[in-house]
Amino acid sequence: MLLVHPVIELVRFLPLVIGVFVLGSGGDNGPWHWLGLALPIAIGLIRFATTRFRITGGQIELRRGIFGRSVLTAPLDRVRTVELTASPIHRLLALEKVEIGTGSANRGKDGRLVLDSLGSAEARRLRSDLLHEAHAESTQPAPAVSVPVSLMAFDPGWVRYAPLTTSGLVIALAALAASSQFLGTLIARTVNTSQVGHDVKALPLFVTVPAGIVTFLIVISILAIGGYLVANWGFTLTRDADAGSFHIRRGALTTREISIDQDRLRGLEIHEPLGLRLAGGGRLTAIVTGVNRRSQGSTPMVPPAPRSVVIAVGERVLEENGPLYADLIQHGPAARRRRLVRGIVPLALVPAVLLLLELTASWPLWLVLATAPLPVIGLLLGLDRYRRLGHALTPSYVVMRWGSLRGRRDALQRTGIIGWNVRQTFFQRRAGLVSLTATTAAGRQSYEILDLPEEWAAGFADAAVPGLIGQFLATPVAK
Amino acid sequence: MTENALGARLRDPQNVVSPRARTVWRVSAAVRAAIPALIAGCFALGGDDLPLWVWITYAVISLAYVGVMPAYRYRVHRWESTATAVYTQRGWITRERRIAPMSRVQTVDLEQHLISRLVRLATVTVTTASAAGPLKIEGLDLEVAEGLVEELTRRAEAEVGDAT
Repeated sequence: MLLVHPVIELVRFLPLVIGVFVLGSGGDNGPWHWLGLALPIAIGLIRFATTRFRITGGQIELRRGIFGRSVLTAPLDRVRTVELTASPIHRLLALEKVEIGTGSANRGKDGRLVLDSLGSAEARRLRSDLLHEAHAESTQPAPAVSVPVSLMAFDPGWVRYAPLTTSGLVIALAALAASSQFLGTLIARTVNTSQVGHDVKALPLFVTVPAGIVTFLIVISILAIGGYLVANWGFTLTRDADAGSFHIRRGALTTREISIDQDRLRGLEIHEPLGLRLAGGGRLTAIVTGVNRRSQGSTPMVPPAPRSVVIAVGERVLEENGPLYADLIQHGPAARRRRLVRGIVPLALVPAVLLLLELTASWPLWLVLATAPLPVIGLLLGLDRYRRLGHALTPSYVVMRWGSLRGRRDALQRTGIIGWNVRQTFFQRRAGLVSLTATTAAGRQSYEILDLPEEWAAGFADAAVPGLIGQFLATPVAK
Repeated sequence: MTENALGARLRDPQNVVSPRARTVWRVSAAVRAAIPALIAGCFALGGDDLPLWVWITYAVISLAYVGVMPAYRYRVHRWESTATAVYTQRGWITRERRIAPMSRVQTVDLEQHLISRLVRLATVTVTTASAAGPLKIEGLDLEVAEGLVEELTRRAEAEVGDAT
């Protein structure tokens, strides 16, 4: 192996220092200004001198500390993911930030091994060493050259899905909210000073309101598309069969490269929020052990893209055809009733309460009329939720699908299940339904099959993970 | 899904916790119920008395809770440990049963609070590599708890792999 002798490397903090120089040189050059410049440089230099890592004896070790001292060690065979991130400043200097995920359940941000500002070539070498080392535990020594197979390449045409994703909308709304005050002032000024304002004011309401909505939609779409492109430009997914890992690369300004040890992949999630689903799209994320909690343990594998692409890529990743499109078992009339009740009742309460207030406290009647269609929306939502609710068992995966507005279909490896939670609320007990949750060390940590008929749940769990739940059944399963 | 597995239901876990746990639950429930009453009583001495019906309603609800809860919880709160798995049941309005295979057990934790120390009871918490849902058995007899911890640790040690 490459790592028989200890490798000692210095970690550089150049971007910080350069950033301070570039940003700090703009203003007046008083003495305090120079102090403000010198301090980060001093800290940067001390850090530069005190942070080092080495790979030795099957361990990766990170030492750092200016005043105190901290040493982080992790066994190499626990390395699950390696993530390279490069902000524009990093890229300018050909540096990378390396984050190593070790899959420990209760480690905070500080527990992750982070090596900021490693040289690009060096970072790549470290990554391939780490992944080969991690994989070598289970297979033969890796050959020196490995040829990655491309599983997916980004198609710019996919931006049409950007405005339909939940995250796209959130980003757009946040940007809009942040800039709304500025925009508001700008619009007020224009309206007050120019002829356009008078013209707009002269227009009837039924023209200005739809025009306003259309403008709003266009602005939001543009922002969402921008966000989508910045995050996903150049998105590629490759499989390196020799290293036994998947590599994901994306990002227009800040590039991100994530490598996932294939043995740590526990399944896939297809996200199908309503908008994306209606447009025939979806997005794919991986269920991996050892990915940090900030991203809720899910790593994007395919950005919002046509459903056919998502499924095709997913199948190649899972190496099994069924889980991503096979028909699912529906949960029956009790589950359907529960979905409908839960869809309609809360939305029906709004007009009901408003009607009550209209009668007793003489609130305006139009409020009641305006909210009257809400229960119908609830009914449609309930029907859609039930239609999508389902589960299945394939040779190596447990599949579950649920949700309407932010629907998902999850395929979780059966060998990745490390426990079952069987939950019943008071109402579920009366309806004879249970929520069966498979717990796992990967991704979201728990994957729920909602409202499963009571008499199916135990059998399903027993079939999915044989030899676990069977001993606790009222009538033991004959083998 | 295998045919004969259809229709099979989970049974309750076999063991109940220590009968003394009922006393602990009753005492702590009574203390919890008494605190708001005491605070309100202090205000009453200062002249801000609540109407009588509030006092009566509160007393009835608290007494019912203190009277019924321990017995009910004692019936629901069950556990079982076999050669290959741990199984617990908890919950009053929402009932939750949790099963973890022995091979995936990561840590076993024994805790004693002040009151439970007085009556020699303990809480055992079993965690797996998943952040979702540790298995918690409250109100075990101390000897039983120690035996369980010892047994679980021994079995978990015997398993190979990193339990993810």
